[in-house]
Amino acid sequence: MHLEATAEASTPFVKTRDEAFEALFKSEYARVAGIANRVLADPHEAEDVAQEVFINFHRLHSATAQFAPAWLHRAAAHTALNRLRGRKRRERRELAQAPEEASRALDPQRMLEVSEDRRMVRAALARMAPKPAAVLVLRAGGLSYAEVAQALGVGIGQIGTLLRRAEAALRKEVTRGTSI
Amino acid sequence: MFDDPDALTGTDRRHYADCADCQARYSGMADDARAATTLLATPELKLDVASAFQRVQTAPAAKLRFGFSIPILNPASRPMFAGLAAAAVVVALVVTAFANILPLFQPKTVQAVPVTVADLQALSALSDYGTLTWSQKPNAQVVLSAAEAQAVSGLHVPVVAKLPAGVSSTITYAAMPKAVAVFTFDASKAAAAAAQTGKSLPKLPAGIDGAKLTVTVGPAVIEVFGNLNANSTGNSQDINLPHVLIVAESAAPVVTSTQVTAKQLEDYILSLPGLSPQLAAAIKAIGDPSTTLPIPIPIDYATSSKVTVQGVQGVAVGDNTGLGAGVIWIKKGNVFVVAGPFKQSVVVDVANHLS
Repeated sequence: MHLEATAEASTPFVKTRDEAFEALFKSEYARVAGIANRVLADPHEAEDVAQEVFINFHRLHSATAQFAPAWLHRAAAHTALNRLRGRKRRERRELAQAPEEASRALDPQRMLEVSEDRRMVRAALARMAPKPAAVLVLRAGGLSYAEVAQALGVGIGQIGTLLRRAEAALRKEVTRGTSI
Repeated sequence: MFDDPDALTGTDRRHYADCADCQARYSGMADDARAATTLLATPELKLDVASAFQRVQTAPAAKLRFGFSIPILNPASRPMFAGLAAAAVVVALVVTAFANILPLFQPKTVQAVPVTVADLQALSALSDYGTLTWSQKPNAQVVLSAAEAQAVSGLHVPVVAKLPAGVSSTITYAAMPKAVAVFTFDASKAAAAAAQTGKSLPKLPAGIDGAKLTVTVGPAVIEVFGNLNANSTGNSQDINLPHVLIVAESAAPVVTSTQVTAKQLEDYILSLPGLSPQLAAAIKAIGDPSTTLPIPIPIDYATSSKVTVQGVQGVAVGDNTGLGAGVIWIKKGNVFVVAGPFKQSVVVDVANHLS
């Protein structure tokens, strides 16, 4: 892993900061956007989150850092979950401020049926504690146990238990949401 | 067991076949897992990675406030380091004030200067008095080995003889070649800023308009011992500081200037309206300003004391909140820092055994 940074800077084996970032972006963008999409169920907003995460990473860290993928995965989950909580608050505020308009928007029965399940799941995710919610969306986003463990900074042996508890919690929260 | 049925050993499998409790528990967990998979299912994303990369590259948010970033700090530790960054601005100003310019200012020892957060805020508006440009931008980078850190910085990377208990021996290295900042005083900017705040600006010394101060910092190396992965997060709610030991070495800053003398600058800075009498007194009290590096200590948050490190005088900074301690000293023209979430005695012990 040793690099002769100054002597070999012009060789093709040593990437510049920008090249390394581009390579990281291309290898991780789909997964980062995928994690955000699991949380938000909104492709446009998920891509928005993914880009915000990469911009923040690029400002703070070198793309050659070993922790880069884990950082991106964790930031994607937390940023998307934070947006979800913000979105929930915004929706509540808008509903309170413009109940007639909101009811008109939600009026068509078909729209309700299509979106209701997703809305309940997002509301449940937003109510969950950050760590279990992150475990769920990282795993659902296609990360292995080892990658979830790295992203959350916990031992790989804990992931199975965390995941099982989180799955049970999600189900309970969704059930709670439907019974209100 | 649900995700990887092959992970079961033969003994486990035999037990499971005969245990109604385990079967019932597994059934419940499997139902939860299937439900979660269904609930979290989303339509497949159709991504255009190339255009997404273009958008990220052109995003205005990528512009840095001070023109550089410190790559190894994770967002969770930023609140603590924001204070230190503000303190660094004061160092730049105070060092500047004491620069026995022509020939050079090169500190050989350190001295604590107590400051309050208000002092820092009042003094941090450098841009009100002129323009800061980097003729060589700080290019801090995370590198993979001590050898690479040495290659980038030209400095020998300090070796820690014994780590404090509980700190992982995983090391993250960062290195920076020297950086050169040029600050150009601008009388019209200073006057405009003063007019906006309604305060009268002290009269600028003759010749200060257009005077250039050149500050050279670094090269520098930073070693972070401990597991950064565990704490590198985009979650702003996570305020746990990483359990890491930070060891840094940098060439002492060097300051040169044109048109004005050190005495004129010192008098001018001491006359600024935002400066507290306490800070002014502390600055005046420094023994030999041409060879002393003042270390601003935010008195609301930390206390400092003189310590002997590696046979020279240093400053130990403790944190009243119990967050951590650090020690800073200058030896053979280089500034050394050891810091972390430990007791002061532990940090000083590490510093004394640095080689």
